Amino acid sequence: MSALRQALDWGKLAPLRLRAKSVADGVYAGGHRSRRRGAGIEFGGHRSYVPGDDLRFIDRHALLRHGELLVRQFETETDRTLCLLVDASASMSYKSDSAPAAKYAFAALIAAALCKIALASGDRVSLDWFGGERTVELATAGGREAFERVVGALETAQPSADLHGDLPALERAVARVERRALRGASVVVLSDLLDLPNGAEHALSSLGVRGKTLAVARVLDPDELSFPFSGPLHLRAMEGEARVETDAAAARPRYLAALEAQAQGWSERLLNRGGSLVPLSTADDPIKAVRKVLDALGGFG
Amino acid sequence: MSFLVAAALGVGLLIGMPIAAHLLRRGKARERAFPPTSLVPAARSVARERATLEDRALLAIRGLLILCLAVIGATPFVRCSRLSLTRSAGASVAFALVIDDSHSMRAQGADGQRWERATRAARELLASAREGDAIAIVLAGKPARLALAATTDLNAARRSLNELSESDRSTDLDVAVGLARTSIASLSHHDKRVVLLSDLAGDALPEGEPALWAPVPELTKPLENCGIYSAELRGHRISAHVACTSPAAAAGRALTLVDSKGMQPVPLAVRAGVQEIGLDSSAKLEHPELQLTGGDALQSDDRAAVAAESAALGVLVAADTSNASAETGGPPVLEQALSALDSNAAVHPIALLPDDPNELHGNALLLLDDPGGITPEARGALVSFVEQGGVAVAFLGPRAEQTPLGATLEPFVHGAVHWETQTPSDIDESSLSWLGPEAASLHGLALRGRAGLSTTDLLGARILATFSDHQPFLTERALGRGALFTVALSTSVEHSNFPLRPAFLALLDHFLDEARTRRGATQSVAGSEWQFPLGASVAIDGPRGPLAVHERGAPAGGSHKAATPALAGRYAVRIDDQHEERVVTLDPLEITALSQKPPSNAAQARAGGNAGSVDASPELGFVALALLALELGLRVLRRTLRERGVTSAAALRSRAS
Repeated sequence: MSALRQALDWGKLAPLRLRAKSVADGVYAGGHRSRRRGAGIEFGGHRSYVPGDDLRFIDRHALLRHGELLVRQFETETDRTLCLLVDASASMSYKSDSAPAAKYAFAALIAAALCKIALASGDRVSLDWFGGERTVELATAGGREAFERVVGALETAQPSADLHGDLPALERAVARVERRALRGASVVVLSDLLDLPNGAEHALSSLGVRGKTLAVARVLDPDELSFPFSGPLHLRAMEGEARVETDAAAARPRYLAALEAQAQGWSERLLNRGGSLVPLSTADDPIKAVRKVLDALGGFG
Repeated sequence: MSFLVAAALGVGLLIGMPIAAHLLRRGKARERAFPPTSLVPAARSVARERATLEDRALLAIRGLLILCLAVIGATPFVRCSRLSLTRSAGASVAFALVIDDSHSMRAQGADGQRWERATRAARELLASAREGDAIAIVLAGKPARLALAATTDLNAARRSLNELSESDRSTDLDVAVGLARTSIASLSHHDKRVVLLSDLAGDALPEGEPALWAPVPELTKPLENCGIYSAELRGHRISAHVACTSPAAAAGRALTLVDSKGMQPVPLAVRAGVQEIGLDSSAKLEHPELQLTGGDALQSDDRAAVAAESAALGVLVAADTSNASAETGGPPVLEQALSALDSNAAVHPIALLPDDPNELHGNALLLLDDPGGITPEARGALVSFVEQGGVAVAFLGPRAEQTPLGATLEPFVHGAVHWETQTPSDIDESSLSWLGPEAASLHGLALRGRAGLSTTDLLGARILATFSDHQPFLTERALGRGALFTVALSTSVEHSNFPLRPAFLALLDHFLDEARTRRGATQSVAGSEWQFPLGASVAIDGPRGPLAVHERGAPAGGSHKAATPALAGRYAVRIDDQHEERVVTLDPLEITALSQKPPSNAAQARAGGNAGSVDASPELGFVALALLALELGLRVLRRTLRERGVTSAAALRSRAS
């Protein structure tokens, strides 16, 4: 195993390849219907005609019966690209004593399982990063080898880098995903959404436009969700220079409120762009976590 | 303080440990990484509050616990106010308690009465004694006496201590110290001590071993006092003698006659020392008493009984001025010697021995120098005088063999006395050892003659001293309540240099004492012994009730009855059918003498008791255990309360949800 394994605490989630297959097997991975309507085989209903619609799809029978211009729609099964954008900044390496693994390990497991599911469905997968070292970006690819490449890249990457205040780096990563993700692609961002630069919300939420489906899986450690500390605390952020001296009991309610407010802000921003926020904890069951992401992508339902 | 004691007490510094532990635990939180730190609000003041002491009660208990442990480690070396004996390696101790029962110990100090403080200290020391310790008790009031010979019976020592009482005696500290050292000298104990419980007013303390330990230095603190040490009636006037420790003590005070209406108090002269004050006594009082106005540290000597006119010891001296005077002139040698003794005796020179017994009445001592014979009438008067308690002394000279017809030297000697010119030049010193160290001064006398006393002519008298050829030098013959002394030398310096030797004065002093005790001077110093004939019925009533009369042996042999009034005041004495009144006075030195400095620390350390210490380990051990139990109890109680609080809060939350 590489030295990266030693640096990152994979905990109970190792080995990633087997765990990802196991998680994927646990998830119902049947064919998923495309929500794209238009030219196809199976009738998918009517809608009102708007200028610019293909005149071939005007239903003349309905025009004669109702006196209204209606356009026939068809549903079709189609391949869909899964674009994975994984946060490999330094904060993703955090693991508390009560957590089974580091946040990055959990995110990598979810990403690998999604990859497995997508490839099994005949979809293609791409992998991009923001932050991290020894990261390998993978172009859109399908087939059995794509899974091995994705898993290898996930195992090789090392969470590091301080993205706090480095908006251009994030925008470059988003731009790469936008180039790969065509209309109808599903974009999954796996991040803790912590210590990101100002403007990160706008950059990430832009991935949900132009016919793409966006799900942002927020992976947090159980300690980050509950703040179980006691007594006087001296905390240091893993990115940026933030340091806080506080008392656990006094700070807990205000911290939880701030965390909730932050999640609410992300959720609203993503909803405005057609995306959704999927809150995850590293203590969660990975199978359920994958299902929640798939639900957010509309793949099940 | 030894290194071990300092180290043990140094453990007490660990009282800061709980605080340090608290600060280490709470004061500085360890820095930890936490990604969402930017979302955590700072609460620095709260953090600092947490760093303060949360549970002061528990902290105090723990601090006390550490202190207890430190003191346990340091005992039995820790000093405390309670006196106790330190022991070298736990060995038994032999100690003599010298308790001063003189008048000055009745003074009231800042810590209570000196006598009470001294006896309390003695009880504390006695309480710290263990089985095997030997204790002797010596009283330092004059005369110094052994109240308890050295014994290991602690109960006997306690009983003896309980029987002690204060007195108005003079101080005899140096003799008492010697007596104390002697009392424990022969004991086998390695550790011996002499403990002084005295105000140290008096003569310098004698050097010697064991060293002296004065564990109650507060007894020597100076006090302001004025007191009437004697008062006597002289005609219509009262002569009072007052002593003051300082001018401040005398300032604003006056002397007055008790129960005398209209009499103006006589103010004291504002000065230290003794002063004589005369008061008019026109009022006829049965038992006159004087009182000092104002107050001071010693109230008991502010009031004194006035002795009757005949209080002074009357001494009749019959001496031929032409023969018995010094060549430089002046009164006879006897009179000069009596004045030199400063015995408060009233000396009355007489030319001839009176024939009327009444002329001798009122006197206690009759001194005859070189009598030329005693007529039958004078003999009758003399015998009557002696039988009633008088003391007569005959210094025989050349005139003893020139008695006229019809006159003899009876009742001193029977028959003729020859004046011997061939005499040895010495007196057997060993026969005069009872006189004291002055007896040695009779060595190498220059004698021009002596009265030859035949043992058959002594009328049953005891020989008290002899010449070196074993001829009698001094004889004593008891007659009634009195005694007759015969000295084989005259007081004339023409016949011998005997009157010029210190032993002469000592002998005169002995005669005065005999006269004082047999006749009973109506005024004597507290602690002086009153002697009575063995066959006499004696009853004495003093200021505090009847005074015990007991039989005792005389220094020169024989026995008699004796009583020692220890308190100043008026005494009613009944001897057979005769009633008389006696007044016991104070020694002025008891008022004016200043306290000496206590023995030096080095000397006290040598005495092995410079630190009153006590082994408080058992008590402190119990205290430590109690503190520990208290701490545990508090912890349990608080935990229970905390759990109850958590349970109720959870119930409230669940009810609210």
